[in-house]
Amino acid sequence: MSKFAALLFVLVACAAPAASAAENGDDWLESYNRAVFDFNMQLDKYTLKPLAKGYRAITTPDIRSRVTSFVYNMREPLSAVNHTLQGNVKEAAVSVGRLLINTTLGLGGLFDVAAGWGLERNTTGFDDTMAYYCIPDGPFFVAPFLGPITPRALVAYTADSFASPMYWGPLNDKNYADKISYSYAALVAINARERSLDLLDDLQKNSVDFYSTARSAYIQNRQKVNGHSLCGSDADPASYDFDFDMDEEFEYE
Amino acid sequence: MKKIFYACAVFAFAAFFGAHSAAAAVDAAKAENFVKKITDEGLTDIINSNVSQQEKDDRFAKLFNEALDLKYIGQFVLGRYWRTATPAEREEFISVYRQLNVKTWSKRFDEFKGRSFVFNGTSPSSTANQIFVNSQVPMDEGAPAAVVWRVRQNGDDFKIVDIIIENVSLAITARSEYTAFIKNSPDGVAGLIKNLKQKLAQN
Repeated sequence: MSKFAALLFVLVACAAPAASAAENGDDWLESYNRAVFDFNMQLDKYTLKPLAKGYRAITTPDIRSRVTSFVYNMREPLSAVNHTLQGNVKEAAVSVGRLLINTTLGLGGLFDVAAGWGLERNTTGFDDTMAYYCIPDGPFFVAPFLGPITPRALVAYTADSFASPMYWGPLNDKNYADKISYSYAALVAINARERSLDLLDDLQKNSVDFYSTARSAYIQNRQKVNGHSLCGSDADPASYDFDFDMDEEFEYE
Repeated sequence: MKKIFYACAVFAFAAFFGAHSAAAAVDAAKAENFVKKITDEGLTDIINSNVSQQEKDDRFAKLFNEALDLKYIGQFVLGRYWRTATPAEREEFISVYRQLNVKTWSKRFDEFKGRSFVFNGTSPSSTANQIFVNSQVPMDEGAPAAVVWRVRQNGDDFKIVDIIIENVSLAITARSEYTAFIKNSPDGVAGLIKNLKQKLAQN
């Protein structure tokens, strides 16, 4: 994931997901959202952020890059299934190929050998699939511990978690199943937070209303997810093609 | 009845061709070349140049001010509060907004070291005299980042009026942030300016 994508990922998630409050620009849960957002920020300040800083302190960029590759490799089965559900057989085959190559020649996914062979990563999940089949996003809200999200995204991320090989893979081993799943979840969270450390700090420092910044960026990013659907058309104007002369509050569509 | 029909036909004709002539007014090739020139200049004369940080910052400020129409963007960013702001507040806001953007982006600009922009054409905008220039920035791993430049043409002059990174418009994000602040601030636009000045001093 690029740094730009990390901006979205974190800005909006600090931990994860998203969705389009997109039905309109009203933030009907604003008081609740702001309170939970502040709670999440405090939680992040005293838990995830220090862990991410510690992780950065004891690892080199190369090690962190290997960890990121490993995490993405674990998502390939999920991508393959969801590309298939979206009718994109070619990309599904790419995901399968990447999984096979990177798990073997890439030493368990630590190295992205497949990308060097032209099989570029194209991650997808149940959220993209639901968007593809025009399932509405629902209203934007901030979930405790998770961050900005929508009902559809919440369902999708839950499904993603249960479909992950790191959840169902060790299920038969009763002694280690939970330990492996929780350790992997912690690794994913800390790795993602480390990647967004500088960017988030910078955004927070320069923002006069960080909640509004995060909400706006999150919803705009959701519009991209929702744009790839059976109900959309290439002829539709881009979601960022707003009227510069508009005077009233911006309405998310 | 015939007159009404005739009037409608003329109106439809004018609206149709008017819209097309507005879109056609933007020279797509020139707009793309303008953005290419700006990014090339930024990469060559600033990021990859062997000069002091102070010199880099100065060059960045000059390029930023030349390439972006901060007054136009600033007006949009304030939304309806632009109308209620006094002329002095408007001027002060644009000045602080400009300085804060220059400082913020100047710091982050170095992250483009070793990278390049790959341009892939333009897309029309629904606003007259504006166009989107599409580009991508290849990343170390994974898919390239999509960066879209919204360009406004005024005669032979081109200016960037928005930058959209991975579908997130910087103008919309700033507008959401600033108008929310003003709405909750007892001092309105003056409160925003004061807060932005504090941010500027911290940078």
